[in-house]
Amino acid sequence: MIDKSLRWVDDRLGIAKGGRTFLDKIFPDHWSFMLGEIALYSFVVLMVTGVFLTLYYVPSAHEIVYHGSYIPLRGQKVSEAYSSTVGLSFDVKSGLLMRQAHHWAADIFLGSIAVHMARVFFTGAFRKPRELNWIVGVSMLMLGIINGFLGYSLPDDLVSGTGIRIAFSIVESIPLVGSYLAFFLFGGNYPGNGVIIPRFYVLHVLIVPLVIMGLLGAHLGLLVKQKHTQFKGKGKTENNVVGSPMFPTFMAKTTGFLFMTTAVIFLLGGFAQINPIWQFGQYEPFQISYAVQPDWYMGWLDGAARIMPSWEFVGWGHTIPLEIFLPAIIFPGIIFNIFVFWPFIESHHTKDLAYHNLLDRPRDRPKRTAAGAAMLSLLFMTFSASSTDVMANFFQVPLKDVLWFFRFAVIIVPIVAYVVTYKICNEMRAAEGVGKRKRAQIILRSPAGEYTTVESEPRPGDGHEELDAIPVPTYIDLVPPELATGAGVRRVIR
Amino acid sequence: MRRLFKARYAVPAGLVGCVGLLGLFGFSPGPAQAVGTPSTATPVTATTSSSSLPTPIGQPTAPSVSSALKATSPSNKTGIFYVNLPASFIAPGQALFAANCSSCHGPEANGSTGVAPNLQGLGAGTVDFWVSTGRMPLAIPGVQATRKPPRFDRLQTLEIAAWVQSLTPGVGTQIPVVDTSSADLESGGTLFTLNCAACHTITGAGDALMDGAYAPSLHLATTTQVVEAIRSGPGNMPRFGSGNITNTEARDIAAYIHGVIQHPSNPGGFALGGIGPVGEGFVGLLLGVGILMLVCFWIGERT
Amino acid sequence: MSDESPRTEGPLPPAALDDPHLQPFARHPEGAQAVAAVTMVIGFIGFIGFGVAYWIGSSTQWEALTLGVGMLALGFGVTAWGKYLMPQGPFVEERHEFHSTDAERDAMTAAVAERGGMVVKRRKLLGGLFALGSATMGIVLLFPLVRSLGPKPGETLFETNWKRGSKLVTVDGRQITVDDLEVGGVLTVFPKGFEGSSPDQVILIRLASELQPLQSPGRTDWGVAGYVAYSKMCTHLGCPVGLYQHQTQQLVCPCHQSIFNVLAGAVPEFGPAPRPLPQLPITVDATGLLRANGGFDQAVGPGFWERP
Repeated sequence: MIDKSLRWVDDRLGIAKGGRTFLDKIFPDHWSFMLGEIALYSFVVLMVTGVFLTLYYVPSAHEIVYHGSYIPLRGQKVSEAYSSTVGLSFDVKSGLLMRQAHHWAADIFLGSIAVHMARVFFTGAFRKPRELNWIVGVSMLMLGIINGFLGYSLPDDLVSGTGIRIAFSIVESIPLVGSYLAFFLFGGNYPGNGVIIPRFYVLHVLIVPLVIMGLLGAHLGLLVKQKHTQFKGKGKTENNVVGSPMFPTFMAKTTGFLFMTTAVIFLLGGFAQINPIWQFGQYEPFQISYAVQPDWYMGWLDGAARIMPSWEFVGWGHTIPLEIFLPAIIFPGIIFNIFVFWPFIESHHTKDLAYHNLLDRPRDRPKRTAAGAAMLSLLFMTFSASSTDVMANFFQVPLKDVLWFFRFAVIIVPIVAYVVTYKICNEMRAAEGVGKRKRAQIILRSPAGEYTTVESEPRPGDGHEELDAIPVPTYIDLVPPELATGAGVRRVIR
Repeated sequence: MRRLFKARYAVPAGLVGCVGLLGLFGFSPGPAQAVGTPSTATPVTATTSSSSLPTPIGQPTAPSVSSALKATSPSNKTGIFYVNLPASFIAPGQALFAANCSSCHGPEANGSTGVAPNLQGLGAGTVDFWVSTGRMPLAIPGVQATRKPPRFDRLQTLEIAAWVQSLTPGVGTQIPVVDTSSADLESGGTLFTLNCAACHTITGAGDALMDGAYAPSLHLATTTQVVEAIRSGPGNMPRFGSGNITNTEARDIAAYIHGVIQHPSNPGGFALGGIGPVGEGFVGLLLGVGILMLVCFWIGERT
Repeated sequence: MSDESPRTEGPLPPAALDDPHLQPFARHPEGAQAVAAVTMVIGFIGFIGFGVAYWIGSSTQWEALTLGVGMLALGFGVTAWGKYLMPQGPFVEERHEFHSTDAERDAMTAAVAERGGMVVKRRKLLGGLFALGSATMGIVLLFPLVRSLGPKPGETLFETNWKRGSKLVTVDGRQITVDDLEVGGVLTVFPKGFEGSSPDQVILIRLASELQPLQSPGRTDWGVAGYVAYSKMCTHLGCPVGLYQHQTQQLVCPCHQSIFNVLAGAVPEFGPAPRPLPQLPITVDATGLLRANGGFDQAVGPGFWERP
């Protein structure tokens, strides 16, 4: 049966040869290579739940009277966008679960991209030949952040509406063209004539996801073409990949992981309430709540805006609102340019133009690791600064003190992080055998009173390394001994 | 949780109660107030529960609380009526004031510069707010007063308020009794968002203000205290007179705070502290991504 | 693939139980199979439970619990199957250099440079005309794709609907009289006819009348009877400056905590806001209604390039 249908397909498409090669493709077994899969599978959840939401959501700022089942809102004039979002939460079966799962999936999507990116960065997986794939990944992160913002703006509730207001002001702050861009984007002066919700909607559900899907295809295609990197270990060289075959082993694990990722998202979606817009109410441009922040992946920008001093440039009949333009446009611009160009910055610095398929241990590249730590601490500090008021309330510290603390911390903490990480890396490199199990030192006293130190007998596991050179049976293809890279290592020959 | 919903979220009407006059004497106006289903609510008069009030020790001749309030009629349409405290409260109130308050506020409650404000003219409602929320007597002078268990029981509080009121009859904020049985939650929500959320936050959690001050959480405030605060503007809070927020509107806000802010519907699960996206972000990263990383750790090789 | 060595047909038999690469648990395949089977059964039950929960219209929590446990258990079972019971590596796959040979690169370069150069050099006119045409198309397409999106800003960023004589009204359209606010009171107001309009939002504060003369110089008559009115749009990012601290006489923007001093013309004291909140001159008419005594003297809200 399988044979017959495969023949039918192969007669027309000729997929058998490449297909077999694909089924034999080897995936490294190390756990850190699965972080990107979290992002991939949250994206799958985003697509499925997102399509569900589009069936009920009405992208319109048109004002209607709410008549749904949530009593405190009944009779209030709300936009169709808000009304339909509350409606799909309360009046559509499983709607709230789907909506919350969608939101959690977005948070986890971007969080896992960040973790995956950190793994790729600290192990040097972005080096030649994978610079393009790094850039594709950074682009997806950027688009993911943008789409997250667009998405949580759609319900037109008080919290997200405040975010849209701020977005208008940020666009407006661009010198020379800002007010034109803002007017074009919003169809007029803020709040526009009701076009921003439908425009955000088409961007959120069609254009940005389409670009992300294209980039995702490129990301995975490049991965297959260039093959995985791998950590150093016995039998692992620059010229091979060691791991499990695509089919069936990897397929089973990754399918299971798809289910488990989805499970975690849906469990959060049902048990951890997220963005309760029915409590926030409809957005009105003259209403505001204290203690509102954007979602976490935008928080670093909000924090940067909070701690920025009030430097506005005024001169020659023009104003450049640096207090907005610097933290909201220049700052993320610099950060993302560093991300995009990092592979080239590094190779320019190291003059290293070789192919790299084996990964670095972070400690072996102290400058890169320290730079990464500095970047992470900078982003974490600006992120934390987006909740200055909540912190001031929680720790009962004056708000101004908290703000001043962060104004210094965003500069000092990354420097400290750099220096400390650099020193730790060098220390770890200097000490041989760090991270390996130590053998006991036995101090003996001779009858004459003389002390000597001897090492204990090795115990099982001491000096254990990956791919122990233990002979194992070969199953698929017997490797001629002269080609074997390690004793008895099985291999798939292409 | 489901009180705020119609249809499949409906609740039995038996849970429904009413605050009525009880609001004045209890800090919690009773279980699951009937928000949104006012027609099923039956007003409860204070007499039905006056026996549950603690009898003040050493004041056997004190008038019963319920009879003191018979004077006021709950018939007005605004849902708020202001209490005339009986003259018999004044004398014990003066004694309590002299023993507990006069060291700062002075024997005539006219304050002392730099230490304590002049209370004359502020009215019984202002005094009731500060004392019934436990903010007065002050725990630490010089720091914003915090809500704590009140020093005085309900009757003693009213007596102190009655005495301070008697110094300037008819002036200042009176003590309101709020009948939320026919309150409009939608109106209350809109007014809350416009007038209150900018400081107290949209979930009523409160937040830090400038110079060490803070907007307190609203989660413990009774409807009476809410209206007293609206009218008297304690601390840094603005004052909202009846020209700004009418009695009906104040009633709606109080009903919204009691019915929605203090008993929010969280059909989506745990509310994560109601502090918004920062809390959600931590949960998403630590719980969501964290658990999935552990799953990766289990599936993959660890060497 | 350059390596044309023959491939062995056949399945991947399971690893021997003494294979040192096996997971410890995989040495007990019956146990592993039992665990995987039990979790998959739990998954099945979970999905049935979800069906029931959906059918009876149960709560979001029951839906999430049944669905989540179902997917978690099924996923766990499949993963355990793959991890403990399927052929385990390590397998080795050779990499092949995927870049082309130098000869192939040269051929490609030559094709691009020579053919391209040949046709363009020979027909410079056609090349130039094509470039001109496509560039023109690109530019004119910007008009429908960008220019149609919205109007030009013009003067709108400098204008509000406040003018001399505008009545101050609440968002519900209620007119404000001079007795409406208590001292220490605060209210969001709009010009009559423009209730709820974003750039017109104004925060009206009633100060004790002895505080009003402390207003910034030249503006002492911009308030009346203790009332002062400021644009409610923050000069930082345009959020409504709705937080009024009555004792310290500060307006605070809840978004980014810019502080404005109410007694000194709403100058920013702290935070990122660069300019004072524009003040609206107000007066009281013969009937006691509050009215604007003119519009704002500058653009409200955040800064932008055209602002002088």
